[in-house]
Amino acid sequence: MQSRLSGHLRWLLLVAALALVVAACAPEDDPEEDPDDDVEVDDDPDEDEPDEDEPDEEEDPDEEEDPDDEAEAPDGGEFSMYLCEPERLLSQESSEVCGSQVLDVLFTGLVAYDPETSEVVEGGMASSIESDDNVDWTIEIEEGWEFHNGEEVTADNYVDAWNWMADPENEMGNASFLATAGFEGYQEVADGEADEMAGVEVVDDYTIEVSLVEPFGPFELLIGYTGFHPLPDEFYDMEATEFEEAPIGNGPYMMDGEWERGQRIMLERFDDYGGEPANAQAVEMRIYDDVGTAYLDFEAGELDIHDGVPPESRTQALEEYGDRAFDNEVSSYDYLGFPTFVEPFDDPDLRKAISLAIDRESIIDVIFEGARTPATSALPPILPAHRDGACDYCEHDPERAQELYEGTDGIDGTLELYFNSGAGHEEWMESVSLQLEDTLGIDDIEFNSLEFAEYLELHDAQEVEGPYRLGWVTVYPSPQYSMELYLEDSPSNYAGYDDPEFNDLMAEANATEPEEADEIYQEAEDILLEDLPIAPLWYGLDTVVHSERVDNVIANTRTFIEVADVEVVE
Amino acid sequence: MGRYILRRLLQMIPVVIGATFLIYAMNFALPGDPVAALGGERPLPEEQQQQIRDRYNLDDPLPIQYAKYMGNVVQGDLGESLAVRRGSDVSDIIADTWPVTARLAIVAFAFEIVIGIGAGVVAALRRGSFLDNLVRGSTILIVSIPIFVIGLVAQIVFGVRLGWFPVAGTGDGWISYIMPGFVLAAISLAYLSRITRNSLMENLRADYVRTATAKGMTRRRVVGRHALRNSLIPVVTFLAFDLGTLLSGTIVTEGIFNLNGIGGVAFDAIRQQDGTVVVGIVTMFVLIYVFANLAVDILYAALDPRIRYD
Repeated sequence: MQSRLSGHLRWLLLVAALALVVAACAPEDDPEEDPDDDVEVDDDPDEDEPDEDEPDEEEDPDEEEDPDDEAEAPDGGEFSMYLCEPERLLSQESSEVCGSQVLDVLFTGLVAYDPETSEVVEGGMASSIESDDNVDWTIEIEEGWEFHNGEEVTADNYVDAWNWMADPENEMGNASFLATAGFEGYQEVADGEADEMAGVEVVDDYTIEVSLVEPFGPFELLIGYTGFHPLPDEFYDMEATEFEEAPIGNGPYMMDGEWERGQRIMLERFDDYGGEPANAQAVEMRIYDDVGTAYLDFEAGELDIHDGVPPESRTQALEEYGDRAFDNEVSSYDYLGFPTFVEPFDDPDLRKAISLAIDRESIIDVIFEGARTPATSALPPILPAHRDGACDYCEHDPERAQELYEGTDGIDGTLELYFNSGAGHEEWMESVSLQLEDTLGIDDIEFNSLEFAEYLELHDAQEVEGPYRLGWVTVYPSPQYSMELYLEDSPSNYAGYDDPEFNDLMAEANATEPEEADEIYQEAEDILLEDLPIAPLWYGLDTVVHSERVDNVIANTRTFIEVADVEVVE
Repeated sequence: MGRYILRRLLQMIPVVIGATFLIYAMNFALPGDPVAALGGERPLPEEQQQQIRDRYNLDDPLPIQYAKYMGNVVQGDLGESLAVRRGSDVSDIIADTWPVTARLAIVAFAFEIVIGIGAGVVAALRRGSFLDNLVRGSTILIVSIPIFVIGLVAQIVFGVRLGWFPVAGTGDGWISYIMPGFVLAAISLAYLSRITRNSLMENLRADYVRTATAKGMTRRRVVGRHALRNSLIPVVTFLAFDLGTLLSGTIVTEGIFNLNGIGGVAFDAIRQQDGTVVVGIVTMFVLIYVFANLAVDILYAALDPRIRYD
């Protein structure tokens, strides 16, 4: 820089340099960037035409599809919907809602569930799932189904996927469900002693036989879960992370382009789908970091379906959008657990006193704007086995709480409350502590809020010394799943609950025909709610809104929109 | 000058190595088990967890873990994410999110330079005028409002009500970056205009300005060539460090406007104790700062002939 450039020239250089940098980072004009480019839709989806004659917005999942809606119809319109960022797009790994919502559209499993009643309905790939003893199961699958790449879906696609998932080398989280059901030979694969599960056999292209180590009645409900999706042969030729960029499934929609992380996933109707063809021609799943931002986008007319209306906007949404907004009961469930392995929480009366002192209704009204359902049982309302008021100690009854509390040794010193930080639990925990102080006179309360990784480790080490918050989502609609976390040998049993009678009843119910099993599960639930190792708090409620452009918007109990059922009205 | 730059570049090597080790050690020291949290309330099977620990060397002592990590880095392999995007390469994660942050930073930077310096110069030249008071008042106001409030108000007014700009996301190319860019620039812009104003006012009172005016130079030339150039030193200092901040992603703005930038990834990675991702991204931030620092020093020499480095 010895030579003195003239001032003007120097500035010019600086501007030129900046321009270069700008040019280098300029967003490329990718055709993918513009969702309207590569989807053949006759009508402009950005047009927000108010529809005069709105059909009656009754959610009726049993509504028969119009038979004249041929798969060849080039039209069906396009709509956009909210999606949270998936962690993975791999059925064998995904257990969180964001990824599963997409996977359950890209894939069709063996079993479909009724979005309202959670019962098994037509629509899965299995034509029959039979067992005489709940131990040996025979699964017949329908012929003529195809993957999006044209491969036929056969028994091998299922069995290979399950064996691949079982192999610890592949680090697949949903392998835990193979253990839950007790697939024979799973443990050997997990221990590295075998490559394939001995209890899973391909009889012919359309028949699978599965043997379990113990009777497991909920097998049919479990086998439709995301983790049991089939995989195409092509999957094994590439890295799993590569497959995830554009998964090839057998579901009503296929990927259109790749997963654009943080932005969108474009889906296109799969015309050779083996089941009922989907209604809309294309779907844009728009990925949002924040439900509030998505709601603003919905209000700006940019988003057709938002199934995660933030609690603070719920009341306004229900008023303003009338029959285009509704609450959907979901199976997510928050509870206050007690470390039953340390004093004084080994005393059931103390646990009951704390549960009775909590005013669930007022917390829901004030903090969640009504977007929760008070829990009065351990089985969520989405299950047929659910009984309202099954829990005798889950109402707000300060007098009973005080009575019970006086009969115990009480809290000696500080009451420690635990929750995971950064997930919006601070506010209601604060309310709980105030209620405990008001009702039971416990005034020395300390909060321990930890990041999730640290929080779970504390639980694993049984170092939790007071009531703690955790949740549970019933991912396949069986009472067995809702209550498995209280079993003595469950890795999720952070309360340290161990009741032989409860364990036996659960085993007995698992061995019983599903029709009669619910009663036995309820007996087990009664024991649980009498011991109260956990205090049920509330069940989730998702508020859904949709624009006038779409109709027949149904949400299921796993919080997912039934994408294939949505109709575009234009 | 060339030798000076080379020396500065060589000095970066120990800085970067030291930074990676410190970050690695800090992440290592965090309590909690990232693998336990992977499955949420329903932990992964024990065998799977062990497999993951083995593959990411999580059971090794710190020096060995770090040595293995650096061994891969030297070969150009920044490692794989453990939690944020398990199985993905850290370099891919950076490649996916960094452009978004960079574009946002450039737009914000442009706003800062044009509006910030412009307002500062106008205020300094018209001292005590209505414009000057307007600049001073509005900057105080902007600085005192939290950024997420500015962001939300902008979204509701310009996005939802007026519909001028998209509410969120990056679906509309550069247009998408205007509103978040402005919001991100707002606070720095306020500071910048005040720095420019004060610095220029001080220089306008300096002897050499009187001399230049006395020699019969035009007012424009006096201000532009002499006073402003000398006033830019503090401004450039501020801008360079601000660019570093902008480029390292701003979690709040990215969050409000649903931009899939590097700030959000860094935030998630820290929360989920995704060591390789944290180290990779933070090291990149360190590099950006070091380069910004170097750029400032070189610019000083360009702005002020009295500053020499050789």
